[in-house]
Amino acid sequence: MAQNKLVGPPFLGKRQFFNLFITLLLAVTEAARRSSPAGSWLRMGMLTSDALKGEEAPGCQNLPGLSVGQSRLCQLYTDHMTPVSVGAKQALLECRHQFQHRRWNCSLLDDVNVLGPAINIASRESAFAHALSAAGVTHAVARSCRDGQLQSCGCSRMGRPQDLRKDWVWGGCGDNLEYGYKFTQGFVDVRERERKYKRGTREQGRSLMNLHNNEAGRRAVIKKSRVTCKCHGVSGSCSLITCWQQLPTFREVGDFIREKYDGATEVRVNKRGRLQLGDPRYRVPTANDLVYLEDSPNYCVADPTIGSLGTTGRSCNRTSQDMDGCNLLCCGRGYNTLKTTIRERCNCKFKWCCEVQCKTCIKTIDVHTCK
Amino acid sequence: MPGTILENLSGRKLSVLVAVFLIGQVICFLIGGLTAPAPASTMTILSTACIDPHPENTDPSRWIARDCKQKVELSHRDKIIDKHITAKDIVFVGAMPLGMPRLDFSRWQQNLVGVIQIDLLYEKELKLEPSIELTLNARLFYKNKGDTEWKYYSHAEEKRLMDCSFDYVEDANSEGYPYNCTTVPLFELGSLHHDYYMLNLRLPADKKRNNIGWISDIHLHVIHMNGGFTRVWLSMKAVFFPIILAIMTWFWNRVHILQRTPALLEYMLISLGGTLAFLDLPLEFLTLFFEMPYMLLLGDIRQGIFYAMLLSFWLVFAGEHMLINDQGEKNSLRLYWKHLSAIVIGCTSLLIFDLCERGVQLRNPFYSIWVTPVGTNLALSFIILAGISAGIYFIFLCYMIWNVFRNISIKRAVLPNMSSARRLHYEGIIYRFNFLMLATLICAAITIVSFILSQINEGQHKWDDSMDIELSSALFTGVYGMWNIYICAMLILYAPSHKQWPSDPICGENGEEVEFNRLPTDSSPNEISSLTSFASKAAIE
Repeated sequence: MAQNKLVGPPFLGKRQFFNLFITLLLAVTEAARRSSPAGSWLRMGMLTSDALKGEEAPGCQNLPGLSVGQSRLCQLYTDHMTPVSVGAKQALLECRHQFQHRRWNCSLLDDVNVLGPAINIASRESAFAHALSAAGVTHAVARSCRDGQLQSCGCSRMGRPQDLRKDWVWGGCGDNLEYGYKFTQGFVDVRERERKYKRGTREQGRSLMNLHNNEAGRRAVIKKSRVTCKCHGVSGSCSLITCWQQLPTFREVGDFIREKYDGATEVRVNKRGRLQLGDPRYRVPTANDLVYLEDSPNYCVADPTIGSLGTTGRSCNRTSQDMDGCNLLCCGRGYNTLKTTIRERCNCKFKWCCEVQCKTCIKTIDVHTCK
Repeated sequence: MPGTILENLSGRKLSVLVAVFLIGQVICFLIGGLTAPAPASTMTILSTACIDPHPENTDPSRWIARDCKQKVELSHRDKIIDKHITAKDIVFVGAMPLGMPRLDFSRWQQNLVGVIQIDLLYEKELKLEPSIELTLNARLFYKNKGDTEWKYYSHAEEKRLMDCSFDYVEDANSEGYPYNCTTVPLFELGSLHHDYYMLNLRLPADKKRNNIGWISDIHLHVIHMNGGFTRVWLSMKAVFFPIILAIMTWFWNRVHILQRTPALLEYMLISLGGTLAFLDLPLEFLTLFFEMPYMLLLGDIRQGIFYAMLLSFWLVFAGEHMLINDQGEKNSLRLYWKHLSAIVIGCTSLLIFDLCERGVQLRNPFYSIWVTPVGTNLALSFIILAGISAGIYFIFLCYMIWNVFRNISIKRAVLPNMSSARRLHYEGIIYRFNFLMLATLICAAITIVSFILSQINEGQHKWDDSMDIELSSALFTGVYGMWNIYICAMLILYAPSHKQWPSDPICGENGEEVEFNRLPTDSSPNEISSLTSFASKAAIE
């Protein structure tokens, strides 16, 4: 019972993705022979948009943070690197939005790991970061498909007639969201599959944990997408009905994964090399839930080794009982209060299109900062 | 006295015939399920927001393509505000299909339905009405392979309603959260004649128009028939069409061999066959060569005529076996005018509704009757009228069928007193009449169930593709084949039989023949159905 049940991926054997699979397989076996690189592919999110623009996408060697398998995929799907970068970027932005009032506030710490050593601890925060980044790429790839930017997704797959009978005009087109899911499955998960770990070791547990959380992130995008249908039969009656997935905004996905973060389950790796509930009294996590191996540090005091900036100097909410309340955020150290007068644009109205009407507000407020 | 084939067919032959029909039915299901793709698919296109270099030029044939010089990212608000862009400068460009020019539309895809989805983000200070009236200035262009320039297809400025709700807490923290808005149907093309299409969409803004928040994206979802499904569908039609024609000829020959004028039921049967043949006529092949935007309308009309005929046939069929027995008036449609008028009213109001919507769409593909209050009321009243007629019709039909069964059960009570030969004969007739009633009921039930199934099947939007059977296509071809087979069966089984009854088969032993001979239908050369005469007798009793 304690086994961590991973439900199989929601899309099974789709012809269009056969080629992608083969490629991934090659990439994995190839990569397994080499060593894993340092740094995170999330560094792609730090690239300026100019670096990826232009006719020629940058060479895969110049992209930061890619593992061996990922650079192989990069060579095969060069045009996908722009959405990967966009996805990483929107994941980082969303992370900061979701954690702006928490002790760990998703601050960017260094150039190699992006989120600093915090990501190396197998904690809830790391689970969240993995899920969110996988979701970011899934979302961005699906969106790019709809933009017509990618060569190989949906119906515009190169070499389409080979595996799609030509006269079966487009009946076998896949959904863009499905494509985004599949690509991310290959691109993000390949890192974890590059190395072989001894069964039951901490490293293997970490790898399993990442895989699980990546899957949860990808599924979050699908979970939050809406199915919309349209009737278009005889006289507009519902004799023919066609449905499609409506891509959610990334904010909705972020909220969903944040909820999953709050309800994440602690697991441990057992001797057979599988994840198992840390406390058997808890519910077995589904493929949509986040899992973690270690408790988080409290992030109260600055500690560069764990990637904690500490909460000293953070502003807090005096009245809130929540995580953003001064009590919790300042870890009981107390807070300073400062009266300040600020001028800011307020009550802004954005109208279609494209004017913004703002008032200037002058407010005198008490700013509370943690000691 | 000769009857129909149904009555004279031995049980063995009947079962062989039914088996053939069933096999045909299974084939129809399998063809759709195994060989055809889903009937229709969608393609979602994220529109590109371009800046119109000459917004003051209102020439409708002026197009802006996706590779326009100036694009705007609507998510970067500050940049846009600095540039002093206004609503009339922004054009949303959507080129169909995605992946053009490598991918182009095929004429097998028949038609194109366009739906747009507008993403709006929440702002605390801007209250959105729950129902927003949008003003859409839409232009449609087309291009074929080898063309460099887009050509004008159509344009219109239309109003649409969009309902938006906000599912989060409405406070300052929710800024940037999305509204949940309904999709907006935009256009319907009756023919997909050209290779590429392109939409230019503007949302002009002033005090009265488009009082909405900041649009972050416009998605265009286009629905097209799948070429593979059209092929399977048309091949089915092309197979059924000659079969139904052959059966009709055979049936009419049979009727004409007889020494009498055809009976009403026979007229109804042959016209039912005719409407089915008209429905089966694979006219859609012509769309591969000619641009025929009226194909959708024509398809609706063909289907409407067929259903009207089928409904009338059921009425007359039940009526002819029920004996509203006035000699002379028996074989005429006039007797059924009350019942048939329900069908006529229902079908006419549906036709008018269809002409109002699809007829106008021939000229303006962006037209929708549901936008203006007057149009909505008009459309609704026609649909309600059709609904009421349908209700009245079914009450009539059920009443008549109930009468038939009542007559039959009265006769059944008398059966034990008859001679054994006569009893077997009547029992056989009753059995076969019930058999056909049952067949009709089963067909109707299957149609309804498959309709519901196809709705559920699509609504769940399956991700699991391990199943190789395309259910919605199977249901489509299956139900279509079923009605074809049903009508073929009717034509065959209700054709007059060659076989003569034994010269004096049953009458003579006892006094029953006296009663029978009193019936005028028996003495006249009415060869339609001994069941009819049997029923008449029951009524006289």
